[in-house]
Amino acid sequence: MKGRYEDENLTWIPLLIVGIFLLPFMLKGITYSYKYYLFVLNMAGIYIILTVGLDLLSGYTGLISLGHSAFLAIGAYTSAILVDQVGIPFILSLVISPLIVGIFGFLIGFPALRITGMYLGLTTMGFGFIVKRLIIALRVWTKGAGGLEVSPPVIFGFTFNSDWDNYFLIFTCAIIAVVVGRRIGKSKIGRALMAIRDSEQAAEATGVHLAKYKMLAFFISGLFAGFAGALFAHTSHFISTDHFDIILSIYFIIMILVGGVSSIYGAVLGTLFIVLLDYLFVPELKDLIHGVFNIEGGDIQSLLFGLIMFLFIIFQPTGLYGMWIKMKIYWKLFPFNPKKRLI
Amino acid sequence: METFIGLIQESISGIALGSIYALIALGFTLIYKATEVVNFAQGELMMVGAYVNFYFVTTFMTQNGEPTVGIFLIAFAGSIIFAFVFGWVLDWVINRPLKDEPIFSVIMATISLSIILRALVAMIAGPMSLIPYSPFGNKILSINGIIISMLDLSIIISAIILVILFYYFFNKTKWGVAMQATSEDPVAAQLMGIPVKRVYGLVWIFSALVATISGILLAPRMSLLDTSMGFLGLKAFPAAVLGGFGSITGAIVGGIIMGVIETISMGTLSYHFGWIKEMNDIIVWIVLIAVLMVKPDGLFGEEKVKKV
Repeated sequence: MKGRYEDENLTWIPLLIVGIFLLPFMLKGITYSYKYYLFVLNMAGIYIILTVGLDLLSGYTGLISLGHSAFLAIGAYTSAILVDQVGIPFILSLVISPLIVGIFGFLIGFPALRITGMYLGLTTMGFGFIVKRLIIALRVWTKGAGGLEVSPPVIFGFTFNSDWDNYFLIFTCAIIAVVVGRRIGKSKIGRALMAIRDSEQAAEATGVHLAKYKMLAFFISGLFAGFAGALFAHTSHFISTDHFDIILSIYFIIMILVGGVSSIYGAVLGTLFIVLLDYLFVPELKDLIHGVFNIEGGDIQSLLFGLIMFLFIIFQPTGLYGMWIKMKIYWKLFPFNPKKRLI
Repeated sequence: METFIGLIQESISGIALGSIYALIALGFTLIYKATEVVNFAQGELMMVGAYVNFYFVTTFMTQNGEPTVGIFLIAFAGSIIFAFVFGWVLDWVINRPLKDEPIFSVIMATISLSIILRALVAMIAGPMSLIPYSPFGNKILSINGIIISMLDLSIIISAIILVILFYYFFNKTKWGVAMQATSEDPVAAQLMGIPVKRVYGLVWIFSALVATISGILLAPRMSLLDTSMGFLGLKAFPAAVLGGFGSITGAIVGGIIMGVIETISMGTLSYHFGWIKEMNDIIVWIVLIAVLMVKPDGLFGEEKVKKV
C-alpha cells in the first residue's frame, strides 16, 4: 500500500523544527528588542493552532464560521476557571478545555446540518455575540466585563513566566497541531470532509455520512480552538471579552483566505503573514499615514486587512500557498513553460 | 393599564426601528434576489449615506446659517445623487468581479468591503461622534397618553412610501419587470433581450439608494452619528431570515417584527424580568438561531428544492 506522504519531500521538516526552536536564540543575538518579537511570534503560534482547526472546518469542509473567536473565548475562560478556581493542573486543563469547546462546536454543528452558506455564517456570528454576552452575564466566575487574571502555565512544577518560556511551550503545541491537522486532512476524515465541500449530494451518494462528518468537523475545529484558547489564557495572564471581538473571527477567516484555503500550510503561512503584518508593519504605517495626511484616528489596521482580503479574493483566490505552488511548478518546467496558466 | 400603554408605545417605537431594519433588509434582499450576492456591507452603505447627508447639511449650513428644512431637502437630494454614483461604483467593484465565485468568497468580499468602508469613514470623518440634524427636531405627538415622537412617525411614513414606490416600480415599470425576469432566470432574460449586466448595476444602485435613505432617517434617531451605526446592518440579517431570506414581503414583515421584539424586550420585559436585561443586544441573534432551528425558510420564504 502506498503511504500517505510518499509523494512528499519530508527531509526539510526536521530542519524546520530545529530552526523554529533556534529562532529565539538567533533573535536574541541579532536585536535587543527580541522580547517584543517573541511576544508577536507567540501570538502567531496561538493563532496558528486555531486557524489550522478553522481551516479543517471552513477550508476542507466548506462550512463557514464567523464565530471562531467565541470558541477561543470559551477555551480561554474554561481553562482559566478550571485552573484558578477549581484547581486542576494546567496540563490536565489543556486536555479538558478543548473537549468542552469541542462539545460547544458539536452543539453549533446541529443547526449546520440543516443550513449552509450564508445562514451558517450568520448563525456562527450570532453564536459569537451570544457567547460574548454570556461571559459578561456569568460574572460570578468570569468577573464580567472587567476581565479575569490568569495564572501562568505550570507543567510538572516548571512555571512558564516570560515570553521566552512561553515561546517553547506554544510552538511545541503549534507543531503538534499542524502535524495533527495535516494527518486529519490526509486521512479518511479529511477526504470525507473535502467530498462534502465539493458536493454534498455526491458525497452522500458515495457513502459519506453527512451529519456525522459535519458534526465531526465542528468538533475537531472546536478542539483546536479550545487548545489555542487554553494556551492564550495562561500565556497572556489576562483575558477579557475585548480580546474576543467579532472582528477577530473575521481576521481568522482573512488568515486562512490569505494563506490559501484547504491547505494546512496555507493556514500557517496566512496566520504568520497577518500577525506579523499586524504587529510589526501596521504601527509604522500608522505613523507614516498620520505624518503625511495629518489625520487623527482611523482604523488603519482594519482598512489594510480589508483591502488585503479583498485583493486576494479577486486576484489570488488560492492564496499565498497557491502562489508558492505556482512558483514551484514554474521553476520545475522552467524553459518549457506552457503559455496557458496551469492552476 | 400603565403596562398596556407602555406596550403600545414600545410597539410604535419598535415599528419605527423595525422599519429601518425592513429598509436595510429590503436593500440586500434586492441584491440577493437578482445576483445571489449576500451583501454584508448594507449597514455600512447606510452609514455612508448618513455621513454624506451630514456633510451636505453642514456644508450648506456654513453658507446660509442655521439648518432649515430647505437645507435639509437640498442635502437630501445631494445624498441621493451620491447614492446613485456609489451604487454604480459598487457594481463595478464588487458585483462584476465576483460573479461566479463560491459563496464563501462572496461573503468574505462583502465583509471586507464593510470593514474598508467603516475604516475609511472613521478616517475621513475623524473619531468624534457627530450630532445629526433632523427637520422634525424633538417634537412629539400625544394621543390619549400615548406619546409618539415625530421622528418615529417620519420613519414609519417614509418607509411605507418607499415600499409603495418600490412595489410600483417592480410591478408596473419596464425596468422593474426586467429586474424580476433577471432574478428569475438570468440566462433566459438575456435571451429575451434584457441587458442583464445593466440590470445588475441598477439593482446595486437601488440598494445603495434604500440604504442611504434609511441612513438619513435613522441618524437623528440614534442622536449620535458614529461608525458603529454600520453594525445595525448586521441586525437586519436576522430580521430578513425571520421573514424568509430572499422574499421582499418577508424582509419587510420580518424587519418590523424584529424591531418590535427588540424594543419590547428592552422596555417592558426588562422592567419585569431582570435577567432579560442581560440579553438585550443579543435577542435578535437568539431569535435568528431559533428560527433557523425550527423553520429555516422563515415566515414567507419558499422552500428551496436542491438540484444536483
